Amino acid sequence: MKEKNYASMSRRRTIGNIISYIILILISIIWLFPFYGLIMQSFRSYSSEYGGMVDYIIPKRFSLDNYRFLFSGETNFLRWYKNTVIIAIVVAILQTIIVLCVSYALSRMRFKLRKFLMNFWLILGMFPGFLTMICMYFLLKQFGLTQAGAVPGLILVYIASCGMGYYVCKGYFDTIPKALDEAAKIDGATRAQIFFQMILPLSKPIVIYTALVAFMAPWCDYIFASYVAFGNDKTYNVAVAMTRWVWTNDYQGYFTRFCAGGILVAIPVTILFMCLQKYYVEGVTGGSVKG
Amino acid sequence: MSQNKKKSAAASFMSACAQNIAEIGSTFVRGDWKTKVSYLILGFGPLMRGQIVKGIALIASEILFFIYMAGFGAKYLSKFSTLGTVATQKVGRKTVYGDNSFLILLFGILTIIIIAAFIVIWRMNIHENLVEETALKNNKPLPSNAKFLSSFLDENFDKTLLTLPCLGIFIFTVLPIIFMICVAFTNYDANHQSPTNLFTWVGLENFRNLFSFGSQGFGGTFVTVLIWTLVWAFFATFIDYFLGLAVAMLINKKGIRFKKLWRTILVLTIAVPQFVSLLYIMKMFGNDGIVNGYLMKWGWISSPIPFWTNPTLARIMIIVINIWVGIPYLMLIATGLLMNIPEDLYESARIDGANSFQMFWKITLPYMLFVTGPFLLTQFTGNLNNFNVIYLLTQGRPQSMKLTGNAGYTDLLVTWLYKMTVNDTNYKMAAVIGIMVFIVTAVVSLVVYNMLPSVKDEEGFQ
Amino acid sequence: MKKKVISALIASVMTASVLAGCGGTAAAPAAAPAAEEKTEEAAPAEEAAPAEEAEAAEAPAVNPDATGDIKIWVADNVVEFTNGRVASFMEEHPEFSGFNVTVEPVGEGDAAGNMITDVEAGADIYAFAQDQIARLVSAGALEEVAPENVEAVKSNNDAGSVAAATVGDTLYAYPLTSDNGYFLYYDSSVITDPSDLDAILADCEAAGKNFYMEINSGWYQTAFFFGTGCTLEYETDDAGNFTAANVDYASDKGVVAMREMIHLNASPAFQNGSAAGEATNVAAIVDGTWDSGTVQELFGDNYACAKLPSFKGSDGNTYQLSGFGGFKLLGVKPQTDEDKLIACDALAAYLADEASQLARYEAVGWGPSNLNAQQSDTVKADVALSALAEQLAYTIPQGQYPGDYWSLATGLGDDVRQGNLTEDSSDEDILAVLQTFQDTCISYAK
Repeated sequence: MKEKNYASMSRRRTIGNIISYIILILISIIWLFPFYGLIMQSFRSYSSEYGGMVDYIIPKRFSLDNYRFLFSGETNFLRWYKNTVIIAIVVAILQTIIVLCVSYALSRMRFKLRKFLMNFWLILGMFPGFLTMICMYFLLKQFGLTQAGAVPGLILVYIASCGMGYYVCKGYFDTIPKALDEAAKIDGATRAQIFFQMILPLSKPIVIYTALVAFMAPWCDYIFASYVAFGNDKTYNVAVAMTRWVWTNDYQGYFTRFCAGGILVAIPVTILFMCLQKYYVEGVTGGSVKG
Repeated sequence: MSQNKKKSAAASFMSACAQNIAEIGSTFVRGDWKTKVSYLILGFGPLMRGQIVKGIALIASEILFFIYMAGFGAKYLSKFSTLGTVATQKVGRKTVYGDNSFLILLFGILTIIIIAAFIVIWRMNIHENLVEETALKNNKPLPSNAKFLSSFLDENFDKTLLTLPCLGIFIFTVLPIIFMICVAFTNYDANHQSPTNLFTWVGLENFRNLFSFGSQGFGGTFVTVLIWTLVWAFFATFIDYFLGLAVAMLINKKGIRFKKLWRTILVLTIAVPQFVSLLYIMKMFGNDGIVNGYLMKWGWISSPIPFWTNPTLARIMIIVINIWVGIPYLMLIATGLLMNIPEDLYESARIDGANSFQMFWKITLPYMLFVTGPFLLTQFTGNLNNFNVIYLLTQGRPQSMKLTGNAGYTDLLVTWLYKMTVNDTNYKMAAVIGIMVFIVTAVVSLVVYNMLPSVKDEEGFQ
Repeated sequence: MKKKVISALIASVMTASVLAGCGGTAAAPAAAPAAEEKTEEAAPAEEAAPAEEAEAAEAPAVNPDATGDIKIWVADNVVEFTNGRVASFMEEHPEFSGFNVTVEPVGEGDAAGNMITDVEAGADIYAFAQDQIARLVSAGALEEVAPENVEAVKSNNDAGSVAAATVGDTLYAYPLTSDNGYFLYYDSSVITDPSDLDAILADCEAAGKNFYMEINSGWYQTAFFFGTGCTLEYETDDAGNFTAANVDYASDKGVVAMREMIHLNASPAFQNGSAAGEATNVAAIVDGTWDSGTVQELFGDNYACAKLPSFKGSDGNTYQLSGFGGFKLLGVKPQTDEDKLIACDALAAYLADEASQLARYEAVGWGPSNLNAQQSDTVKADVALSALAEQLAYTIPQGQYPGDYWSLATGLGDDVRQGNLTEDSSDEDILAVLQTFQDTCISYAK
């Protein structure tokens, strides 16, 4: 009797597992399908098949036509790519520095306007970002950072207000025991020394998380980038330049080229993300609990 | 109670003002001649007392202020009340631009803020004089300049750290927001566009337009878009949340192998830039896309399914595709949190004979909701403003003759705002919508935040 | 500022020298206007193109020392072509050599929006679709065509394109193409008589093939309504606002047009659509020149084009299908520097003249709006373009329409497609639908 029960339980567990595997495999197929399609389309031969939309996935003839086109210099693709890489790297570095500074000050120091600043920034965050687009554009224009100067202009826009995104990082600093600070202070260390020599070395995961998120954002930015750089092909980023291929009628038959470009954009970002996934998970999980 | 609070806040503000004025007066009357000169020449007192750094900083800020006002600020400020009167003219065939209302408004606001900041500095200068004088009277030595400077690495380190970020936030967030709030009270739109045309103050007209329900009014459309925005944010947040939780539990289940593989597959969605993946998916479901193509080839349908052209279908599609975008993210978070649930909770439940469904219902879900309450709130407000998914997939379409202002059935308030700014250059209405978005976000946040269990009962699960 | 003072100085010195010259040399022909004199005096080395100078007798003085940057926006696929034309312009007009011209790929769709966002940062010369012109004028992004070019532009281009480039009574842009319309592509092995709609449908039904037309689009739909003599147009004020709607769809003529759409929809051979690339099993399609390559592949040797067919209306009369004619235009931005404006005008006129339009047709296949270019042998030999040209006689130049019109028209077409209206519907039912449509159209104008 008991044995039978046990057997039926184990059978139930096996069936449960099989169902779970089936669901997981289905999920994987759904999640991977768009990427599969993207890759397939990017290899569709441009010269012998149409470059636009077709109603089949697997190309009739595989070729590197679309990739060759991107590297051929017929468009400024490499330039756009370079712009995006420059923006992403510079933003990642500067944004990390700024966020660390703000987080340290808000987490470790007590000053008169601390509460006010935090509440004020919280309220500012409730305004939609696009609201200020036109104003931002003309502000940048005063400094000559639009059109031809769009790359430094965009960097400035991205980092200018990033201090408001201190939550995750401050949450992490809060978990480092205050007693460490006190001990160092007794030893005669200044606040700056505590920050650079004690807190920073302890914060590797959050530094990597902040830099990773900052690095990934500029790759996707279409809105501000198109607004700041319009009419100057050489200063576009990949998102601005390539969405034209899908949205504008001037570029009929550019769809497979878009797919190829998309793959090239996705590869470095994805690899980097996969390598640093651990830190990303730590960051979002920690951040979500802190709110 | 809140009224009391308000009253006391107002009262304390009044008394603070009175105190300030009293101190300004008494310092002047009782102060020595150095202090008195400092009322006109900032930093004169500190300079005479050997506080070189402070003195130079104060006097430099005064000089800069007057240079700014004389060379730049005054001319914009003087036109602030009208936003410019000189119209653009043609001289021969040449165009001579008149006043630029945009710059007048922008720099007018900047100048007002700078004047306010200067008054604060002036006040600090008086206070500094008072402190120094009192210290000297009591025969206390003033701090050396070197010590003052090095304090910025120690007890004043917060000022060193925060100056630059605050400046950036001021110029690129605060100033533009004040500017756009002001625009909501002007007639700045396609017909009043700088530099060719002037725009001016119109009071509350734009708000009246938003709440007018005639055929040209924005009222009906605003309500439609607002309701869809709230519905969308609700579904996008909670469907993703529960499905993400389910997937995480599925992967975490005992006996499931290749956990890392499943996670990696899902996480791919986060890694690949959205403009690539979402634009591809948009094309996939187009009338000429592969989904319709295959369905027709297999003979399941005779004409394409209008995924993006039927309003209801488009709305459902967006929510479904957002699941594709959102689940991996929530899966990651849930995975991390599930591991934190104390194992003994389950253990004791098992002894009581609970099955796994009961355990989920009684332990896992309450725990998750408790811990992630604030996170759900930020997710919700984030979804209210979720631009990418909507814009990359439908750009707010399908449009309709029933909606004004070129809004579409899948438009959120933010995408509508964006389209108004970029496509229609209807800045005045965009500004009004922006203010509405702020109000909606603020109200939702405030109401929900006070309802959260983790706010009400901090000790709940600890 | 400094630059302005200097240029003013130069101008006054020049005028003085001209006056002196006039006094001294009696040989100067009395009839010659001072402007031409000035040019010759100021730049004696520049004697190129005397014919042109004679033609544009009132051309303003060119300051050969003027410098500056001129930015041009055109669609990506004509960037290279435009660069070539700019280079030859510079060769022919060395007096403008001080200007540095750059060409950027900004499509006609984006150009108007970008220009309006920031006129100052926008291009000096840009191409746009004609439906944007009122918006651009009201935003101060379009300069009037230089007076010395107005006559030439008006007489050299077809009337539709000139009307499209005109707002109020002022010519604001240089017509570039006249090919944004639709006509009939057909498979000559299936269709025997492309001039009659019923015959086409009968041929298609017999062969089991499809006839494509996008009747739920506000653009293609007008083929029926304008064909029966209905009107739908909007009046705009100088600021580009819609002030009045002139529409009579709710009339007997409208009912005839509507009945023909219903009749067409009832044919088993009819399919709704206008993209050749997505059409299946097609024998005839109403489409534009942009799809000519795709259609050519579809039909192979049987590729043929014609003007739209005529149809026998429910009232017994025969009507020719009409529709919209559309154009691309080249505009010059208002300038604060007169010398640069002169250069921009000259360059824009050059890029839109007969030779450029012909060359553009040869390079990328854009149908010219220039009358002489339209008569050239190569253009005439293009079957698609000549069918379009033939159809053009029956079309109405597309004016300004509110954005809402297009979605409203889709609703009207969908009523037909969904079978809400059938051949059995009474005239009253159809009239009621058209009345709603008409009232809504009128409500769009303030």
